[in-house]
This record gives sequence, structure tokens and C-alpha cells, in this order.
Amino acid sequence: MAAMEGEMLKGHLDMIVLAALAPGPAHGYAVIEVIRGRSSGAFDLPEGTVYPVLHRLEQASLLSSRWTTAESGRRRRVYALTRRGERALAEQHAVWERFADAIGALFKGGRWKSPA
Amino acid sequence: MEEPGVIRGYAERLARELAFDPALARRVRREVEDHLLEAAACSGAAGAEAERRAVADFGDARAIAAQFAVVSLAKRARWVGFVAVLAIAAVFAAMKMRLLWYSAMPATFKPGALGEMVLAIDRFAFWLSVLVGVAAWLYIDSRGIPASLTREYRAQLRRFSRLCAAAAFALIASVICDGMLTSLRAIATGWSVAFVVPALLMAAEVACAGLLVSHLRGMARRAAPMLEPPAL
Repeated sequence: MAAMEGEMLKGHLDMIVLAALAPGPAHGYAVIEVIRGRSSGAFDLPEGTVYPVLHRLEQASLLSSRWTTAESGRRRRVYALTRRGERALAEQHAVWERFADAIGALFKGGRWKSPA
Repeated sequence: MEEPGVIRGYAERLARELAFDPALARRVRREVEDHLLEAAACSGAAGAEAERRAVADFGDARAIAAQFAVVSLAKRARWVGFVAVLAIAAVFAAMKMRLLWYSAMPATFKPGALGEMVLAIDRFAFWLSVLVGVAAWLYIDSRGIPASLTREYRAQLRRFSRLCAAAAFALIASVICDGMLTSLRAIATGWSVAFVVPALLMAAEVACAGLLVSHLRGMARRAAPMLEPPAL
């Protein structure tokens, strides 16, 4: 799958990061790996852009974070969804589903072909 | 002399770009170093090449620092809003304590025409500072933090700064009036050791107003380069 358009991706970065943390707490690198893996490489962001998003979501109380010690002995910051974050993700998911359904319905029966 | 690693050099550069917020710079540096070391270990390459790849995938330090700057400024603005409300509440507590102290003092004080006028200004200025200060805090706390410094967010920060400045001016006016009333009382009833407590409470009020002004100035200094309109 081709990489998504940068601007389109940036507009949904908060939702993408929240969704990547839905299975459980993770550090920044793991969040990026989850995003890359679950999107089959479509969301291939410059890795550094995820950290300001994590900090911003934490500032908005959608995430909490704490330092832990990895097996390597390095200190790392682990992020987790807060209750407020879970609610925000559920809301964004519902909005996204309605939006995707509406766009899908618009495209149904079109006479164009997707680029190879 | 050993050359510093690519990762360490990058983390230092990013921390330098974030020097405007030392706590954030320290945290980001540690986080980013951990990220890059893990990315280098997983890259399949070895040594300096692995580090170079990890750094290249991470992105430009200046661009990332600019994104952090918005978060840092928003955090600072929210903190200033909280400090404004806290300073106003502390001034209120000091006023009430001073009145309690006066009620326990034997001497009675009639403020006179000048005192009544100052008291009226004091009340008006104080409640104005409460109203505007709380409004400023609620306003900035209810704004979302954008990914970049949008024109809309710039306008919101300017609006918040004006509200805070208005609250600070009103609070200063109230504290000045309190100082005048305290002096009038001291002149009318005569200076005594019992006036040490009201004098200390006055000093606390001045310190609270000063704290608010210093936070506002700090935020203005930080925000100034970011809120300037882009050069044509």
C-alpha cells in the first residue's frame, strides 16, 4: 500500500496515536511500530513527529505517562490512555465510521479506477 | 579524543533547540535517546551507520522542536491561568485575615470620606480581577492544543494574555487600595506592635500580585517570538 498523503495523515494523528495505545501502555518507539505494523506501512511517519503528539495528548489529559526501566536497563517513558482518552477515542472512532461510511457510499458505483 | 555518537549529537541538538523549556528539554532528550538507540538496534545495520539511519528516520530536530514549542507554550499559558486564580485567591485570604485581625483589635477605625472612596475602588477592582482572572483561566483551559501554531491559536493566546493583564492590573489596583486603607488605619489608630500582622499580610498581598506579574512577563517573553506575525 502506498504511503498516505502527509497532510491527510497529520490531520488524524491524534486519533492514530490514541488507537495505537488502545491495546495497552507503550513507549514512543512501540507506538510507532504499532502504527506502522497495523497500517501495513501506509502510515510511515517521520518517527520524531509522534513525540510532540504524545506530549500534547498528555497535556490534554488524554494520556498519562511514567518512567520505567527497560530490560536493556535504559529508562523509558511509557504512555497509557486515561479514562478521558478512552472516551475521546471511542467518540473519534464513531465519527470516523460515520464519515468513512458516507465517503464509501459516495464512491460506490463510480466509473474510475484506483491508481496501480 | 573520541567523537560523540551520532545519536548523542542529535539528542543534544534537539535539547538545545528546546532550551526555552529546560524541563521539557531534559525529558525529550532522554526519551529521544532511548528511541534512537532502540531504532538503531533494530535497524539491521551496525555502528555509526545504524545510528545515522535511526536519526534520519526520526526527522529534522528543528522541525520537531517547533512542534514541541507549541505544546510548551500551551502548558505555560495554562499554568499562568492557574497562577492568576491562585494569586487572586491568596490576596482574598490575606484580606479576610487582616479584617479578622482588625476585629480582634480594641481600637475602632472610621474610614472617612477618603477611606470610603478607596474601599469602593478596592472592592470594585478586586471583584473585577476575580471575574476576569477566572474567565482567563477557564478560557485557556477549554482551548485545545493544536499540532502547530495556527493563526486561530495565536489569536486565542493574545486574547488570554489581554485577559490576564486586565486581571493583574485590577489586582494591583486592589492591593494598592488595601495598602492605602491599612496606612489610613495605622495613622488613625496609631502605630503599634499589633500592626505587624496586617503589615505582613499586606506584604503577602504584594508578593502575590508580584508573582502574577512575573509569570505574565515570563509568558510574554516566551510567546513574543512565536506570536509575531510572519515576515513578508
